[in-house]
Amino acid sequence: MKVKVITVLVLFLVARNSFAAVPELELEIRDHLFFPATLEIPVNQKVRLLIINNDPTPEEFESYELNREKVIPGNSRTVIFIGPLDPGEYPFFGEFFPKTAVGKVVAK
Amino acid sequence: MFLSTVILVLEEILEAALLISVLLVLTRLLTRNSMEHLVIPLAWLPGAGICGIAGAWLYATFTPAVSEWFDYVGLEITNAFIQVLILVLLALFCFMFSSGNREHRTLMLAGMAPVLLCTMVALGITREVSEIILYMQGVMALPANVSSVVLGTIMATGIGISSGIVLYYLILALPVIWSYRVSMLLLALFAGNLASQAVLLLTQADWLPYTPELWDSSNLIPEYSVTGKLLYALVGYEANPSLLQCVLYLASAIMIAFSPLFLLAWKSRKGSEDGA
Repeated sequence: MKVKVITVLVLFLVARNSFAAVPELELEIRDHLFFPATLEIPVNQKVRLLIINNDPTPEEFESYELNREKVIPGNSRTVIFIGPLDPGEYPFFGEFFPKTAVGKVVAK
Repeated sequence: MFLSTVILVLEEILEAALLISVLLVLTRLLTRNSMEHLVIPLAWLPGAGICGIAGAWLYATFTPAVSEWFDYVGLEITNAFIQVLILVLLALFCFMFSSGNREHRTLMLAGMAPVLLCTMVALGITREVSEIILYMQGVMALPANVSSVVLGTIMATGIGISSGIVLYYLILALPVIWSYRVSMLLLALFAGNLASQAVLLLTQADWLPYTPELWDSSNLIPEYSVTGKLLYALVGYEANPSLLQCVLYLASAIMIAFSPLFLLAWKSRKGSEDGA
């Protein structure tokens, strides 16, 4: 049983690399604002979202609709995988500066 | 700034506060009502507090480095690892109450229980409080924010701790057997929450495959509503969980529900007779 689980796990980890062709999108944070504020992504497609925080302060990317939450330290970059998504709009915000940092993902 | 600080800090603190309450209820019940004269020293709580806050400070300091691990998904992996570790410790705690040599068991329990409780809570605090520290460091870079952030943090900490105290006395107000049962039920759901959160983090890091959303109750109870947030802290409520999250939530909750400690609570008539 254990061997099986480990085998599946190893196969899965190997398989992950061969499916690496996930499209990448960039999102920048500057002065507690997201650029671009609207991200268009293809429907039913997983994407690798590269978030670059140009502010010296940390920010937290958060979206209830996308079910995602992640701290991005100041002056650094990070990656969040989102989707595959149904068509629609998925708002997100910066939880540390929620009044300014807002945006949305549009899947179409 | 004040209100968003209260919300953010409360979110982080509530989960830990509620877990601590349930564990305190159990500590009290097991110590007072145990036929085995088991004494779990309360020192695990201040110990967990100190270790947790030290851990949180350390984790916050290394967050920029950790964040870059595993091709920029280091935080997800580390946080998922912490969640799974807490789950394992919780399961160990619940399964420690299995049969075996009674006298030997009491000795082992008295030694191990406070260590497990302390480590579990310290890990929980490390994760939650490190985020508060990062947040405070970030927003207090602007001097104008300092007073509202400090006040907000104090207020949220107060509300969080009060909620924990309310839950503690609510559970203890029940007949003893039901205090025991309710705390074990909450612990089982808490275990489910840990597993579900770990799955979510690993999915976000693309270490686990995408699985379809099982339901969407965001119109009924939005996650950002007060009810949603309380339910999240208490039983891991999520408005749109994935299939894998639900499966592992149930599996972990059921695992705790079949643990000796849970069965003891459920079988014994008075809750004090140890089911034997």
